[in-house]
Amino acid sequence: MLKYIIKRLLMLIPVLIGVSIIVFVIMRVFSPDPAPIVLGQHATQDKIDAWRVANGLNDPLYIQYLNFIKGIFTGDLGTSYYTKTPVLKEILSRFPATIELAIAAIILASVFGIIIGTISAVKKNTIFDSAGMVTALIGVSMPIFWLGIILIIIFSGTLHILPSGSRGDPLMQPMKVTGFFLLDGILTGNIQSIGDTLAHLILPASALGMYSMAIIARMTRSSMLETLGQDYIRTARAKGVSEGKVIRKHALRNGLIPIVTVIGLQLGSLLGGAVLTETVFSWPGIGSYTVDCILKSDFPVVQGVVMLVAITFVLINLVVDIIYAMVDPRIKYSKKEA
Amino acid sequence: MNTVKKVLAVVLAAALLCLTLTACAQGASNDPKDTLIFAQGADPRGLDPALVDDGESSKVIVNIYEGLIKYAKDSTKLEPCLAESWTVSDDGLTYTFKLRQGVKFQDGTDFNADAVKFNIERQMKGNATEDMPYADFVYGYVTKVEAKDANTVVITLKDKCTPFLYNLAMSMAAPMVSPEALKKNNNNVNEAPVGTGPYKFVRWDKEQSIVLTRNDNYWGEKAKTKNVIFRIIKDNSARVVALNNGEVDMIDGIDATVVDEITKAGNTVDQPDGMNINYMAYNTQSSICGKPEVRKALSQAINVPELVKSLYQGYATPADTILPSFVPGFSKDIKQVAYDEAASKAALAQAGVTTVHVITYSNPRPYNPATGKALAEAVQGYLSKVGVTCNIEVFDWTTYKQKVKAGDFDICFYGWTGDNGDPDNFMSLLSDKDPSMNVSRYDNAAYLDLIAKGKAAAEGADRDAIYAQLEQNQVDNSVWLPISHSKLLSAYRPVVQGYYYHVTGNIFLSGMSKTK
Repeated sequence: MLKYIIKRLLMLIPVLIGVSIIVFVIMRVFSPDPAPIVLGQHATQDKIDAWRVANGLNDPLYIQYLNFIKGIFTGDLGTSYYTKTPVLKEILSRFPATIELAIAAIILASVFGIIIGTISAVKKNTIFDSAGMVTALIGVSMPIFWLGIILIIIFSGTLHILPSGSRGDPLMQPMKVTGFFLLDGILTGNIQSIGDTLAHLILPASALGMYSMAIIARMTRSSMLETLGQDYIRTARAKGVSEGKVIRKHALRNGLIPIVTVIGLQLGSLLGGAVLTETVFSWPGIGSYTVDCILKSDFPVVQGVVMLVAITFVLINLVVDIIYAMVDPRIKYSKKEA
Repeated sequence: MNTVKKVLAVVLAAALLCLTLTACAQGASNDPKDTLIFAQGADPRGLDPALVDDGESSKVIVNIYEGLIKYAKDSTKLEPCLAESWTVSDDGLTYTFKLRQGVKFQDGTDFNADAVKFNIERQMKGNATEDMPYADFVYGYVTKVEAKDANTVVITLKDKCTPFLYNLAMSMAAPMVSPEALKKNNNNVNEAPVGTGPYKFVRWDKEQSIVLTRNDNYWGEKAKTKNVIFRIIKDNSARVVALNNGEVDMIDGIDATVVDEITKAGNTVDQPDGMNINYMAYNTQSSICGKPEVRKALSQAINVPELVKSLYQGYATPADTILPSFVPGFSKDIKQVAYDEAASKAALAQAGVTTVHVITYSNPRPYNPATGKALAEAVQGYLSKVGVTCNIEVFDWTTYKQKVKAGDFDICFYGWTGDNGDPDNFMSLLSDKDPSMNVSRYDNAAYLDLIAKGKAAAEGADRDAIYAQLEQNQVDNSVWLPISHSKLLSAYRPVVQGYYYHVTGNIFLSGMSKTK
C-alpha cells in the first residue's frame, strides 16, 4: 500500500507539469494585457511599459515560466497584480469557504443520493422507483445557476425562511480557528454561529449538490440492482436474514464500491466547479474569485488557483482509491499480494 | 423496511436540529437599528486610497478617510474638510491650506501638516510606485510640499492648474492616511486602513463583507449608526432579493429592469444624474467623417431625446452638453445640432455619403447600461431613414478599446465617467494627444487654446464662460453627438433615514440611520 501511495504521489509530478504549462500558455495567449487593467484609465504607455518590466512580463516566456515553477517549489506564488496581496494568502483566505461548501454539498448529495437510489432499487418498477429516477433526471438536467436562482426566489424571496446568500452574518461569525465556519462554531461552542452557518449553507449546498445527488442516486440504483440479483443475497434471504439486514449488510456494503468512486470524483469536480453556485449565492470561495481574476488578467492568481485545484483533485482521487481498498478487502495494490 | 425508517428518522432529526439552530441564530441577532448594511456588486480592490482606482473601493474609502477638501452634498462644488480654508497665490502656483485643529487619525495619532506632507510626498514623482493609479493625475503638478507650522501646509505647483483643488476632493489618492499606519504596513494599507473619517475599519472578509464601526473620536458630527457592513453580492438578482427580503438595507449597481420589482416590495429607488457622458464620436481623420458638414448632417438624422427615452426607459437624461448639469461650467444655453431628417437627407445626398463604418462594444457600461450594440443599432435605424447604411462591427470591451485606438472607423461609441468634478476633466478629452482618450482625433487650435486658458483660470464666472465656449466649439464642429447622462440607480428600504447617493457614485453613510 505504501509503495502504491508513493508511486501515485510521484505520478503527481508529470500531471502538475502538464497543468502548469497549459494554464501558463492559456493565460498568455488568450488573456488581454494586464497592465492597462491594473493601471486604470489614466495609464500612459510609459507607465504601462514600466509596469510590464517591473512584473517580468517583458521577459522571454520560458523565463517567466521557470520563475512560476520556481515559485511553486518555494511556496511563493507571487503577488496579485490587482490587489498587491500575496497569491497564497488570497487563495488560502477563500479556500476554506469552497471546501466547506463542497463538503456540505457532497454530504447532502451522498445521503439523499444513496437513499433515493436504494429505495429505487429495492422498490424496482414501483411509483417510488419512478419518482426517484425522475428526481435524478431533473437533477442531472437542471443548470446549477438556474436552480440556485429558483431556490433563492422560493426560500428567500417568497417564504423568507432562509438567507439569499453569503457565508454568514458578518456580526455573528465564529472566532477564526480553522477558517471553516461550521467547525469553528463547534470548536468555540458558538451555537448562534452554527445555526447561522447552517442557514447560509443549506441553499448553496443543495444547488451545488443536486447534480451529484442525481448521479449518485442513479449509480446506487444500478449497483444495488446488480448486487440484489447475486446468489449470496438469495442465500442470505433463504437463511432467514431480515430484509433490512440483507439490504444494509449484504447488498449496500457490496454495492458501495462503485458509489464511493463516484462520490470521490464528484467531490473533486465540486471543488473546481463551484463557480456558478458561488456567484449566484455570493459565496466567498475560490471559484467566483478565479473568474474575476481571469477577467482582470491576474496571471499569478489564476495560475496559483489552477495548480492548487489540480493538486487537490489528484489527492482526492488518491484518497478515494485508498478508501476503495478499505471498503473492498479484495482489492490489493501491491504486486506481490495481487 | 426498518432500515429505511431509521435513516428517515435520522434525516428528519438532523433537519429539525438545523431548523432549531437556524431559528436560534435568527432570534439572537444584534439590534438591527445599530447596523446599516449596504450591498455592492464586487469586492473592493483595496482600502488604500493611493493604490486603488475602482468604485467599489471608493464607496468604503469615503467612510473611513477624508481629504483636505470635499464635495458638496448634491454637486461637485468644493467645501472645506480637513482644511478649514485655503488661498491661492496671484500667480496660481502656490496653494496655502489652513488645517483643522484637534483632528486625530483612528489610530490615535495626530493629523497635522506633517501628515499631509507625508501623504502627498508618498505619491509624488520619484516616490510613487507604478501601481498608484491616480498619483500622477492628482499630484502630477506638485513640485514641493512644506509644513509651515503644525496647521499650515504650502503646496507649490510647476504650472497653473485649477483642477488641482478638485483633485484634492477625490476619493482616490487624495484622502489622508495615517503616516504611522503606512510605516507599520510597509507603505500599503489596503487591508489595514486608518483615516480620520466617521467610521473606522474592523474587519474585511474577502469577497464577503467589510465591517466598520463608529469612530467615537471623530472631530465632526458623530455617525448616527454604530456599525456599517458592506456586503458583496455579485449577482444582480440576488442583490435585489436580499434587499426585498430585508437582509440588506441598501443596494446599488441595479438597472431599469428591476426597478418595478424593487418598488413593488415597498422599497425606494434613488436616481440622481451620474457624473458621466455617453456619446457617439466621429473620426475626424476618416475620409467620410473628416468633413464637418457630413458630421453635422449625420447628427441631424438622429432624434436623441426619442432614442434616449426608448433605450434607457427614463433612467438617463438626454445630453445637450458634455458636462453634466451639476459640474461647474455647465451652461444650459448650449444646444446640440437639432433633429432635422429632411435637412440631413439632403446634405448627405449632396455629399454622396451612403455607408459608414461603425464600431461598438458588446457589453453594458456605467454610462450606457443598454450596451454599445443596442445604441449602435438604434443609430443604424435613424441613419437608414436618411439613406445611409451602417456597417456595424461589435467587439468585446478589451478588443474594442484596441480598435478605437487603431482608428479604423467612421463612427464609434464611447463614454466617460468623471474623476474629479472639474469641467477640464471632461472637456480635455477632446484635446488629448492619446487617441484612446480623444477617440475623435480632434485637433482644433482654438479648442486647445481654450483648454489651456480653462486650466489656468481661477475658479469663478470667467472660468465657467471658457467651458461654455468649449462646449460651443464642439457643437459647431460636430465632433461628438452627446447622447445621454446615465442616472445612478440605487435602492433602499423604508427603514433607512437620510439616504443619499452622491453624484460621484459614492455613498456617505454617517448621516444615515434606521428606524427599526
